[in-house]
Amino acid sequence: MFSFTKEQKVFDISGISVGGQPGMHPTVLFGGLFFKGEPDFDDAKQHLQTIFDLSKQTGTPVIPDFFVRKVEYIQPIIAFIEKVIPKKHPFSLDIIEPSIKIETLELLAEKKLLSRTIYNSIHIGITKEETEALQKYTPELAIIVAFNPKDTSPDGKIEVLENGAHLTECGLLELVRKIGIEKLLIDTAALAPGENSGAAIAALPVIKEEYGFPAGCAIHNVVEKSRWLNDFPFAKKTVDAASNNAIPLFGGDFAIFGPIENAPLVIPLMAWQDILVSEYTENYFGVSPVASHPRRKLLK
Amino acid sequence: MRQKLKTSVIGSYPIYIDTLDVIKDYFSEQQTSWTKYIDQAVHDMTSAGINFVSDGQTRDPFIQLFTRNLRGCRIRDRTEILGPVQYTGPITEPDQKYAKRLLPRNTGLIGVLTGPYTLMKSSLDFFYHDEKQLAFDFAAALRNEAELLLKHVDLISIDEPFFSNELPDYAKELIGTITNGLSRPTRLHVCGDVSRIIPQLVDMPVDILSHEFKASPYLFDLFREYSSVKKMCVGAVRSDDVIVETVEEIVTHVKKAITIFGDTVVQIAPDCGQRMLPRDIAFLKLQNLVKAGEIINGG
Repeated sequence: MFSFTKEQKVFDISGISVGGQPGMHPTVLFGGLFFKGEPDFDDAKQHLQTIFDLSKQTGTPVIPDFFVRKVEYIQPIIAFIEKVIPKKHPFSLDIIEPSIKIETLELLAEKKLLSRTIYNSIHIGITKEETEALQKYTPELAIIVAFNPKDTSPDGKIEVLENGAHLTECGLLELVRKIGIEKLLIDTAALAPGENSGAAIAALPVIKEEYGFPAGCAIHNVVEKSRWLNDFPFAKKTVDAASNNAIPLFGGDFAIFGPIENAPLVIPLMAWQDILVSEYTENYFGVSPVASHPRRKLLK
Repeated sequence: MRQKLKTSVIGSYPIYIDTLDVIKDYFSEQQTSWTKYIDQAVHDMTSAGINFVSDGQTRDPFIQLFTRNLRGCRIRDRTEILGPVQYTGPITEPDQKYAKRLLPRNTGLIGVLTGPYTLMKSSLDFFYHDEKQLAFDFAAALRNEAELLLKHVDLISIDEPFFSNELPDYAKELIGTITNGLSRPTRLHVCGDVSRIIPQLVDMPVDILSHEFKASPYLFDLFREYSSVKKMCVGAVRSDDVIVETVEEIVTHVKKAITIFGDTVVQIAPDCGQRMLPRDIAFLKLQNLVKAGEIINGG
């Protein structure tokens, strides 16, 4: 378990705090919706209710992460967010195509939702048009994916943040500063087994010690890519949920845990892990958990 | 009758890396492939008709290309030396092997190595605190790579731009660590103002010297007294200027070189790597270089 010498930043978005010294704030979870494309709003509504209930019960903050795969889904998904997500709760939008990102930003601005928006994500593939749209319609918080195709090690992730690994005009951190986003989360870019998958976890303390920014990743993707686990279906689900534990254990602040359906398994599991970390870090490093921490909620 | 002039590149070639494509590969769980960028670089050079081509050094800038793959080096913002520099296996060899497969018959491939002095000077040393030892360890690693390249390339070219800033007294020994006894011709490329170090350059243990005679034509006069000592690769189009030299201009420039160096002029090339030029400009410069070469050769 870790405590960092570098001062740790804590960012707040609509009442959810992320970052800081390990043991201070609970791990923030991102649960994915509409990954396959076409939104099923009835199903989503049920899952959202489940995560809000579990979050309230455990103290583990959960943020819905909406995939937007096609232009025609932008309007209905934003309308759904407006209607179903509590007014003071943040949400994340997970979009790959720059044109869809730009159109979504415009609509978020029009609906005055940018202050609750987590922009997932900024990376080396950012276009000039997307940069300009972000300058005009700036979301409250952005996830920076530190993927470096030249070097998958923790140092490679720092390289892409520092200078874009010479693939972009400047480093991703400078780019974000130029855009004007002050709150950011560093995603350490999980890769498949055989491609330095462990580096995403190893990079968490490295990034936090280097910059003090909140760091996390979608380590669940590594489980998805572990094809051999398909021979062990019972174990696979457990491994999938448990993989997220590595994040707080290595000092990380957030976990993008995959499909929101996994929430009933992942949320209590992460609450348990955060309690474990908090007990040690308070005893050894004197880091007290915040009032909303699972340790405060569940151990009375 | 004089031997025919060959056209050559120095190393890098400007290829746009589609980072959106790269990140889409990441999100769709595909490994990043660099071969299409090598394809584009080699295609341009061979289409222009260049005799000696490179793989384009599209993968990385010329420092990181090597230090990324050497033990003891760490790259964050710049290359940092954290331990003994050691060769651990192929660096550019896979790209060279791939490039070789793309070449038409009678087109040669250059194995380009960034020089040990330039690698040393471009790194932040937190371990050796001894420039000479670090440079020689880089040289030893590059020697391993050079030996590996011999079976794929027709020429080994060492790129040492830092020699024009300062030439260490161990420069000859350093370059010899890489070149001594190699079974392929070797070339040393030093761009920048080399006017102060010409006597040392002509004494280097390489077969061909390569300098930027187009941007620095005054070098012709300074080289005059050493004109028959070494084979020369004459820089004949600029790498730092988007104006495309005409064929006639290149012919005049090369003829001047021949009047001074005579038969020792064996190659004409851009002044340096073309990485900083727009791709279409780089291509036009290579095309005109080839046309000028044909005229000089009596074609």
